[in-house]
Amino acid sequence: MLGLQLQGIDIRFPGLAAPALAIESLTLAAGSRVALIGASGSGKSTLISILTGLERVGQGRILWDDVDICALSEGRRDRWRGANIGLVLQDFHLFPGLSALENVLLPASLSGAMARDIGARARDLLLRVGLTRPTQMIETMSRGEMQRVAIARALLRRPGVVIADEPTASLDSEAGAAVGELLLELSRESGCTLLVATHDLSLAQRLDRRIRLAGGRIVDDGPVLEQAA
Amino acid sequence: MIGFILADLRRLWAGSLVVVLLVALATALGVAVTLQERALRLGSARAADKFDLVIGAPGSETQLILSSIFLQPSPLPLMDGTVLPRLLADPRVASAAPVGFGDSFGGYPVVGTSTGLVHQLEVLAEGRVFAALGEAVAGSAVDLPIGYAVKPTHGLAERGGHAHTELAYRIVGRLEPTGTAWDRAILVPMQAVWALHGMEAESDADGRHDHADDLEHDHGHSHDEAASGAKAGHAPIDADAALNEDWGKVPPGLPAILVKPKSIADAYKLRQEYRDTETLAVFPGEVLTNLYATLGDAKRVLVAVTTGAQVLVAAAILLVTILHVGQRRRQIGALRAFGAPRRAVFVIVWSELFALIAAGVLIGFSLGFGAAKFIAGYLSGESGVAMPVVFAAGDGLLMSLILAFAAILAVLPAVLAYRQSPAAALRA
Ligand SMILES: Nc1ncnc2c1ncn2[C@@H]1O[C@H](COP(=O)(O)OP(=O)(O)OP(=O)(O)O)[C@@H](O)[C@H]1O
Ligand SMILES: [Mg+2]
Repeated sequence: MLGLQLQGIDIRFPGLAAPALAIESLTLAAGSRVALIGASGSGKSTLISILTGLERVGQGRILWDDVDICALSEGRRDRWRGANIGLVLQDFHLFPGLSALENVLLPASLSGAMARDIGARARDLLLRVGLTRPTQMIETMSRGEMQRVAIARALLRRPGVVIADEPTASLDSEAGAAVGELLLELSRESGCTLLVATHDLSLAQRLDRRIRLAGGRIVDDGPVLEQAA
Repeated sequence: MIGFILADLRRLWAGSLVVVLLVALATALGVAVTLQERALRLGSARAADKFDLVIGAPGSETQLILSSIFLQPSPLPLMDGTVLPRLLADPRVASAAPVGFGDSFGGYPVVGTSTGLVHQLEVLAEGRVFAALGEAVAGSAVDLPIGYAVKPTHGLAERGGHAHTELAYRIVGRLEPTGTAWDRAILVPMQAVWALHGMEAESDADGRHDHADDLEHDHGHSHDEAASGAKAGHAPIDADAALNEDWGKVPPGLPAILVKPKSIADAYKLRQEYRDTETLAVFPGEVLTNLYATLGDAKRVLVAVTTGAQVLVAAAILLVTILHVGQRRRQIGALRAFGAPRRAVFVIVWSELFALIAAGVLIGFSLGFGAAKFIAGYLSGESGVAMPVVFAAGDGLLMSLILAFAAILAVLPAVLAYRQSPAAALRA
């Protein structure tokens, strides 16, 4: 599991007077489970992009344990992300033409991170997320099933942190609930740090800490007091 | 990785096919033009190889070669018949054979010559050489059986020539292939051609004149071509009359004589000596070289056209490449987002594009080769001149150059892919 220390982030996009993101400092304890909420356009996805190194920042520091990802080159940041962050995105970003199993294994195999037992682990994970046909082609799957494949892929290399951006937003409520449940359960089992950006209040309720963004700033940060229904 | 690349190509098969076809057709065009031009050049050079020195009446050198080496049907001016005995008596001449054109049969040129030339061309595949006036030897590509009776037509039948009814040749032998236009020729005794066109050796001693007086078959029209000296009518000719190849009796006018000099030095001396007001001596190879120099401009135009086509295709490939990257930004972004190292992304993007272009180039080379073979086959069938469609060492270099260019081009999308952040690519 990884902990985060973030300092002096100020992201501006051309044509926007106010910064899209302005965060003095943010700390996530290793193993903590955090919900990131806020209205549409409040900067949740932008924050996730810079935390994962998908977007470069001009200034500030982003330390995951003691690695400052701002100091890494593009290629090394990609590699670091592959090894340390389990990503789940709203649009799945799976690769058509490959089976569920091949999709789960693709990033690891491209990175040359194919440990001996990794095939078995991929099958286990697929079973664990409730998919019994690992050879099914990805484009023939339902959206709920696709997001489960994405969760299995995110967890394959035992990342220190799992980060999900609206994992349930493109699913109906039932499939969304199931996917949210799996995400929580599997990350708890692996003990990794978890950060989920979501509009889904019932999902946010089930995490330990809640950060609310508005206009690119943290306006509320504290433990989730209410118990999940 | 291979699985991913294959899945990708399968998924984008229609676009991939277009790229492959585009490259293949452009390559094929260039290859076909190059190979065909080479085949034509090699083929005609080899066809002319068998003939060392050609002597005709003063006029166009090119026409003399086209008629005597490539047997193109067109009238040649006649030179004085005494040139032949003079050449035969020359110690520098190994052999000299008269040739007479103007007749044809079923699209095959009927060429009058001597038994010496027949032997000089090739060995006989079957039968024997002509020994009587009414006998003929067929070239290897003449599709007529031994024993077939050939009734020659004056000129080409399709151009309104008329049939000679006075004499039918019987095919008595067939030559091995020579790879020259002469493969399509029906070789007959020169004397028979003279007789048909009413030109006799002045001191002709055999009995043909008697026959000519007996039977009246004079159609009364005059020839305007090789036999322009015609005065006699169309009396039947004794096909069985034995051949007399004693050229010493001052033969009538001749369109061309094929000469084999004893040495190269002799060849140059003879060529020098027989270029005067009465005769024109030429080396076929030299004339062909001049001809190519003249055709060089035409070839340059052709090459420019193909180059233009290739530049267009290169531009098209470039465009396809850039579109390809555009379409794949999301995919490349996703690969990067999930941790694929730069090397893997490079290999994937590069190898997909390179595989397509390389496949196109290889298919193009085979297509071009096939097309050149087909055209050469057709032209050989028409002319009898064998046209060797062959790759030269330079072609391998050209192919490597094209592939190297493709390899560099294919790097482009991979480089472009790293010019934006994965987050931006994912939004695409
Ligand atoms: N590349 C960009 N160029 C210009 N503006 C951008 C860019 N990316 C984000 N923004 C702006 O930054 C703000 C934050 O966007 P972001 O996508 O982070 O919001 P969000 O909280 O994820 O919204 P949602 O809940 O709808 O996903 C928005 O106003 C958006 O228009
Ligand atoms: Mg968002």
